[in-house]
Formats: sequence, structure tokens, C-alpha cells
Amino acid sequence: MLEIKPIFNAMRRSKVGAFMLLIQIAITTAIVSNAAFIIYDRLQYLQQETGYPEDEIFHFAVLTFGKDRNLSQQFEETETTLRNLPGVINAAAIQEVPLSGSGSASSFGINPTTEQGREGLEVTAAYTFGDEHAIDTLGVKIIAGRNFEQDEVIVAENNDVMPNVSIVSQSFLDEIYPNGDGLGQTIYLGDMPMTIVGVVDKMKGPWLRASIADNFLIIPFVSADNFQRMVVRTEASQRAAVMRQIEDTLLAEYDKRVIVGLQGLDESKREYNASDILMLRMLVVLITVLVLITALGIFGLTVFNINKRTRQIGTRRALGARKSDIVRYFIVENSMICIAGLLIGSIAAVYMGQALLELYSLPALDHNYVAITAAFVFVVSILSVLIPANRAAKISPSVATRSI
Amino acid sequence: MLKMKNINKVYQTEKVQTHALRDFSLDVEEGEFIAVTGPSGSGKTTFLNIAGMLEPFTKGQYLLDDVDVGTLSDNQRADLRNQKIGFIFQGFNLIPDLNLYENVEVPLRYRGIKSAERKRRIENCLEKVGLASRAKHLPQQLSGGQQQRVAIARALAGEPRFLLADEPTGNLDSLMARQVMELLEDINREGATIIMVTHDAELARRAPRNIQVVDGQLADFTLYQSRPSGVVTPANVAVEA
Amino acid sequence: MFIHYLDLSWRSLRRTPLISALMIAAIAVGIGITMTSLSVYHMMSMDPIPHKSDRLFHVQLNTMDEGRTWTTEDNLPYQLTYTDAMNLYNADFPERKTMSMRTGFSVHMNSSEVKPFLEGARATGREFFAMFDLDFVHGASWTENQQINASPVVVINQELNERLFGGENSVGRQIYLDDESYEIIGIVKNWEIHTKYYDLNNGAFNRMEKIFVPFSLVVSKELSSWGNTNGWKFEDVRTFQDHLQSEQFWIQFWAELDTPEEQQIYSDYLRTYLSEQATKGRFERETVQFALRNVNQWLEYNNVVTEDNRVLVGLSFMFLTVCLANILGLMLGKFLRRAPEVGVRRALGASKRQIFAQHLVEVSVLGLLGGLFGIGIAQLGLWGVRQTYSYYSALATMDTYMLLAAPAIAIGACVIAGLYPAWLVCRTTPAIYLKTQ
Repeated sequence: MLEIKPIFNAMRRSKVGAFMLLIQIAITTAIVSNAAFIIYDRLQYLQQETGYPEDEIFHFAVLTFGKDRNLSQQFEETETTLRNLPGVINAAAIQEVPLSGSGSASSFGINPTTEQGREGLEVTAAYTFGDEHAIDTLGVKIIAGRNFEQDEVIVAENNDVMPNVSIVSQSFLDEIYPNGDGLGQTIYLGDMPMTIVGVVDKMKGPWLRASIADNFLIIPFVSADNFQRMVVRTEASQRAAVMRQIEDTLLAEYDKRVIVGLQGLDESKREYNASDILMLRMLVVLITVLVLITALGIFGLTVFNINKRTRQIGTRRALGARKSDIVRYFIVENSMICIAGLLIGSIAAVYMGQALLELYSLPALDHNYVAITAAFVFVVSILSVLIPANRAAKISPSVATRSI
Repeated sequence: MLKMKNINKVYQTEKVQTHALRDFSLDVEEGEFIAVTGPSGSGKTTFLNIAGMLEPFTKGQYLLDDVDVGTLSDNQRADLRNQKIGFIFQGFNLIPDLNLYENVEVPLRYRGIKSAERKRRIENCLEKVGLASRAKHLPQQLSGGQQQRVAIARALAGEPRFLLADEPTGNLDSLMARQVMELLEDINREGATIIMVTHDAELARRAPRNIQVVDGQLADFTLYQSRPSGVVTPANVAVEA
Repeated sequence: MFIHYLDLSWRSLRRTPLISALMIAAIAVGIGITMTSLSVYHMMSMDPIPHKSDRLFHVQLNTMDEGRTWTTEDNLPYQLTYTDAMNLYNADFPERKTMSMRTGFSVHMNSSEVKPFLEGARATGREFFAMFDLDFVHGASWTENQQINASPVVVINQELNERLFGGENSVGRQIYLDDESYEIIGIVKNWEIHTKYYDLNNGAFNRMEKIFVPFSLVVSKELSSWGNTNGWKFEDVRTFQDHLQSEQFWIQFWAELDTPEEQQIYSDYLRTYLSEQATKGRFERETVQFALRNVNQWLEYNNVVTEDNRVLVGLSFMFLTVCLANILGLMLGKFLRRAPEVGVRRALGASKRQIFAQHLVEVSVLGLLGGLFGIGIAQLGLWGVRQTYSYYSALATMDTYMLLAAPAIAIGACVIAGLYPAWLVCRTTPAIYLKTQ
């Protein structure tokens, strides 16, 4: 006894209002399911493990313009100064900072590059130069092999002696030596051979968004340059305090230099990912407001329908309809429109997902999101109709008998 | 002034066809005061609506001041209505958001009359119906009789030559009804032609000419006006949907 | 009559405050969200140099072996090698052309008053300023002689001049870049653009450089690039000299070509030049490939408007559609409830057109109010964008154009949504509403 037929007839008479509601629900479903999926995708991306204790690490760059010092010695001293600061766990000179969006990449092969090119497997990876403190300072864990020995670290006066070992990420190792026997094998950067002496389970490269994000190498080389990056790891609680004294401490040690880009690793990551965070926030705002607007729309339209039918409702009440019958009438009416809208919206959502997939580099829409969104929109629509419907149920039967 | 010849009006709904007027013919001269009576559903209001060009008719010819209404566009009809015709309704139909002054102003605005002239006419009309002092009041602050007087003022503001009144006293008690009727008679004396639909036999008798609409057709009772009983009940009363 | 309609609209809004507030809120939120993403889009896609964007051309040459690929859609590298940049620069045609590269220095005044700081700089040809419309406040660009001799001269912008010299005319004074003294020969205006179209390597919306030095200093001072350096084959590059002679790409090149004829001449020249270079054995190529892209084509090619932003603009407009469907439904209800009043007005002589106009004015008023509140919401949204992403701080603003567009879009949208309800209400037969109350 759901009175569908009379409701349907009543709807046909005010079809534009019903149609507008249907459109709203359909578009809302399409947008919300796609946006929710993009949000989920970005969240996954933003919350992924990087391998680093980001809140313990900070970095900066030193630009030395004074020409009266030996840079290599200078950096040895600077590292020592840093390690002696209270709260500091370790410090290292490093060429590129992971997660920062700035770095170097190259292809590495199992054979050297010659005039004729290279034979055999080649894998692209990001790399950084660093010393034997780099692993500990970055807070990553060697799961196989060992760290660099101090004498393996080449301190460059010129480019004549090159390093011959490297520590690599597991994912790079799996790619270049897929048989699992990579540790101890040789890889080539150009024609420069390096033995893989250590493997780190997870260390992301400088570009989180890149396809090679997991391929990262550390090469033991310190090319003391007038532009030198440093990383420092501290107790998480001490980091802010240590960062505050960096500039004064280092300039007190030697003042013909500039300290720039002092930043926590988590902050650098956030900056690199700022556009994703922005997209995420905008989408969250968008769908929240959208659902709210649609709910208000349903609310408003129901209020209108009730006002229009005040006498009719009074008459029904006078003829013996219970309050629950009146509430049910509006809920059934709304549900019919809503379900039609949800059906159309779900189809639109799937097509929209396909269009986004084709036009932009967004992942394919998971259809569960459409189903969950549809269920959610349905619940919201019922809630939006309940308030005015309950008010309608309170209409006194006497309005029907009151004369014109 | 008003000539209707064989006017027919058919309402068409999905299932039912209702003949509201059939071969309705009527001549009205300038300055007449006509009362229209008839059982409910006989077509009185339809006749009045067609006379006021609020509704199109299905067949026939309607000349208003020798203008063939049937050939006019909606906009031309609106202009003509605005210039020549004043309406008075049973339910007064004042616009609740507007105060008395503004209500009377409505037809003048549509005629594009300048503000100074509007003011003069509105004050004049409100004066005539005895409500000048309440110009700033809203309709719901007035009694029914007062509201109807405002509605009459509004109808008069455009200085129409033709006043159409649909049960103008229907919602009023007899004292107020008499006052309204006296007002209409004054207006008629000043030269306006009036057609008034009414249920009230007593009021109808006060009009110089009575016509009766029965089953969408005209029965002219002018001749019987002097007879005290006045109204002959027709045998066949059409039942409309 | 229009004023009268405005008055009626205002009364009508006040008569149903809840519904009016709901409708205005719906439009305001729709416009707010749409204008937030649209403003960013507008700023991103804005022509940075409208009067000559079709005359400035970025040069791309394919100097790689046949079959080598690049990350671009047409496999052309973004930048040039030092060799090619120099050859093109030293050619006779066209008159205005320049290579350029981002580098940087630690800047100080050799005194303890100014703490040394790091500053990006542009190494370029003396034509750069005239080509990219950078006007001088004091002084001028370096001379041809200074350029050839790699003289230690520098042009700075007003902002830096303000910081170092308090804004006075500092032409002729000295500043220190990396511990060497340079003479200031010119001060240019601050660059009021938000897209760094002349060099997209470090991101399209980063700050413009404040220091400009002759490109010849790159060689004499061995200045390193602060942009990208890309190779396509293995080269043993150990010294700066190796770097200069290598096939690595690290220099941008622009040419100003005023007419289609000049563009044709330059295309022919580049074709000949590339064939010549191929015969010198630098690379193995049969097919000559190069590209001249004007400013807007260059921005398009580099996808300066981000994908995310396009998606957001699309979603925002769909959102606006929902808001419109919403107000259409509400307006329909509101207008139809007023049908009796409309009946009276019709009876009193209002034409359909007048009734229609009255209702369109009413929806326009709704649109206007919604648009104005929408600007407020958009400002809030843009503030949020700037807080989240400081890189967008110059982009996440509304210029006059957008400020005007907001109410215009709002009114336009409301009129579209209001057409049907207004038409419906003006079309209703007046007679049926007159009989009963």
C-alpha cells in the first residue's frame, strides 16, 4: 500500500520541479563519486611511506662565496659542528635531498656505456652523492649488505678518482637484477662501474609523483662545491630548536657564506605535494557544499510542495490519514525521484570517470565509489525530506473544512 | 460599445468537453449599468472574462468600440484592457505586499503614466472611495468593505469607460454591500458603463438592465424588471465539471 | 518601469526571506566555488604579453640522433646546446633574439650592513629587456662591447634596488655577486606578470629574477645553470669547457619575428642550419626537425594550465549547474504561488511581456546578490588556495575582469534558470486565479 500510482500522477503534474530535483541528484551523484575517488587516490599518494622519518630530518644549503678556505675541510668541520649540537643524531653533506622535487636522475645499466651505446638491461633511477653518514642521517634501514666504509667515500678535488660502490633501494635492485641476486653485482653509471654493497628496503627519490619514485641510489662521493646541501637528523622534539640555531652557528664558524633553504623534510614534501593537497582540499570543500546544496534543494522543494498541498493534506487527515501516512507519502514521493536521479547519476558517474580517464591522467573510477555515493545521497535525501514532512503531518485536519 | 455575436467558449480537458458559452450574443450601449445573474456554473464568469479579454473565446465575434478583439495580439489586448476596462472582483484581489496607494497605482504604471499624474489620480480615487487617509496601509489592515472600495478605486484609477464587476459584494455583509453598490451607481452616473455579475437579486434589481445567463446562453430580462419577483428560474440547469 | 521592477523584486525577496536566503546562498556558493577555480585558471591561462605574444618565438631544435625520444609530445628537447645557442645568436637574422639561462649568486655589499643573501639571476643577451618589455627606470642595458668583453656589469630590478639602496638611482654603484664586484648599469621596473613564460624550467609561476647579467659571463665565470641540464647520450663531462662543448641542453632561446615573412625566412634559415650541423657529425639525423612556438603556443605546449585545475573548473561548472537546478526548482515554486497576483496584474492591463520582464528582473536581482556574496566566498576560497599553496599566491587572486565576471555569470545563470518559471507564470491564464482568493 505505497500509493505509488497517485504519487506518480501528482508528480507528473509538477514535473519540472521533480525533474530539477532529479537533475540535481544525478549530477551530485556523478560529481561526488568521481571526486571522492580522486580524493581517495590523492590521500593514498600523500600518505604513502617514504622510508624516511620525515619529522626528524631537516636540510639546508650552504653557498660559500669566500675563496680563502679549502671547501672539503670546511665541510668536514661543519659536519662535526652540526653533530655536536645538542639534539642532533647525525649530519651529512648530500648532493640532493629526497622528496624535495629537485634532484638528478640517470639510466643505470648492467653493462657500461661505450661509443656504440649500451647493451643489456637499463633502468632509470634518481641518485644522490653522499658520505658514509648519509644512510644514518636519512634514517633509512639497510636490510642487506652494509654501509659505506670511510675509505670508499671519494672526496673530490677533481673528477679523476670516482667511487666504485653504491647503496640502492630494493625496488631499483629488483628491477635491474630481477633474479634477486643483485647484492654484490656491478652496475654502471655511464662507463663508471659500481658494486652494490647495500640494499635499503624503502627510500623514495626526489620526485614522489614520478614513475621512478622508488628507484634511488646513494653514491659515496663528496664534491665539495660552493653550493653544498646538508641534511641533519635530530630527535623529532628537538628539531625546531636545532633549526633555529643553524644559521648563527654556521656563520659563527665561517661567515663568507649564505645559509639558504632551511626546511624540514616533511615541509619539503608538503611543498612538493602542495598542488595535490590543494586539489584534495578543493574537492573536499566542493563535495561537502554540493551535498549540502542538494539537501537544501530537496528541503526547499518539499516545503513548497507541502505549502501547495496544505488543503489536500488537511483533507486527507480529515478523511482518516494518520500522521505516519502523510510522512510516508512525502518520503515515497522523494524516494521515487531520488532513485531515478541516482540511476541516471550512476550511469553519468561511470561515463564521467571514463572521460576523466581518457582526457587526464586520473586513475580509472572504482565502481564501488558510485554505489557508496548513491547510497549516501539517498540517505541524505531522506533526511532532508523528513523535517518538512514531519511538519506537514502536523497540519490540522481543520484546514480542509475552513471555507475559502 | 460592446457587441458580442454568437460567442462560443469550449473548455477542453483530457476527457471532458464543456460548453461554457454557446451562441452568446449581447449588445451593450455606452453608459448602461447591467446586472448579470444566473445559477452557478451557467457561464456568467466566463462571459465576464471574455468581455474583459482575460480569456480567448472559441468562436464568434466580439467588438469592443468597433475593434474586433479576436484579431488582437495578447499585448494589444493587454493595452486595450489597461485603457478601457476596470475590474472589480469578489475576492478584491488586492496585492498583499503593496499598500493601498501602490495597489491603486498598478494599472497606472502599466499604462506608463508619469509619477505626478499618477499621484493626482490615485489621491483622487482614494478620496472618492473615502480611504484617502489610509493610503499607506496594507490591505490586511482593512475590513472587507474597505478592501473592496480600494479595489474599486484601483479600477477607477485608469479612468476606464467600462467597469466589469464579478460578485463585487459577494464577500460583504449587506450594509457594506449597499455602500459598494451606491458607489458603483455614482460611477455609472458619471458616465462609466458597468457590467456586474451578482447572485444578489435585490442588488440586481437596482440595476437598470438585468440579463440572465442560463446554460451558456443569454436570457434578457429587462422587460421583467418591473415585476417584483424579478427572476424566473430556468428549468434546465447545466452541470459543469 | 525597470526601477519599479527592482522595487517589486526587493519586496518579493523580503516577503519570503528563508527561500530567498536559500536561493541566494545556492547561487553564492555556486559562484564562489566556480570563481575560485576559474580565477586560478584565468590567471594561469592569461596571455602574459598580449600585444606581442604572437611575435615572440621560442626556438626548439632537434640535435639528437635519429630515433632518440624526448619527454615532449613531438620529441623535441625544450632547450638548446651552448653551441647552437651561440650560433643562432651570432647569426645576422633576426635583429632581436636572445639566449638566456637562470643562474644565481650570493649577493652582498662587502660590508656588514647587508647580510649576504642568495638571489636568482638571469644570464642573457642585451636584447632581452626590449624583447620582453622590461622597461628601464634608470640606465640601460649593457653595450655590445661590454657583452663581448664579459664586463662585470649588472642590471637589477626596483625591488632589489629598494632593498640595497633604498630606491635611489644606484646606476654606477657596485654590488658583490659571489665575492666579485659588479657595476650596476641599469634598473628595470618590477615585472608584473605571473607566468614566467620566458623560462618554464623551474615552474611556470615562480618569481621573476631580480638580477640580469651578460650571458658572456657564463663562460668567463663558469656560472652553473639553476634550471635543467639534460643530456641524451653519455658524454664524459668533467670540466666547464667540456660542458660548453657537450651536446647537453641547458639554454633557452627566443627570437622576435614581426611578420609571417620573417617567420618564413627564419624557418628556412633554421632548416639550412640544422642540415649543416648534421653534416658536421654532431648527430646522425636525416630529417630536419625544429619548432618555432609563439608565447601562447609555448605555454600550451608546456601544459602551463594544470590538469587538476582543468578538472576543477569542469567540476565547478557542474556544481553551478546543480545550484541552478536547485534555484530553478525553488523559483518555480515561488513564482507559481504568486500566480493569483499575476492574474490580477494581467487583469489590470499588464502585458505578458511586462510580467515576464518583472520576473526576469527579480531573478537578476537574485543573481546579482548571489554574485556579490559569491565574490566574498571566492575570496575566501582563494585565500585558502594561497594558504595551501604559496606557489599560487600570485595566481589565486581575482583581477577586475574576474570581479566583473562573477556577478555577470551569476546573473546570466539565474536568468537562464529563471526563464522557464518566468515564462510559465506569464503564460498562465489570468482568469482562473481571479475568482477565488
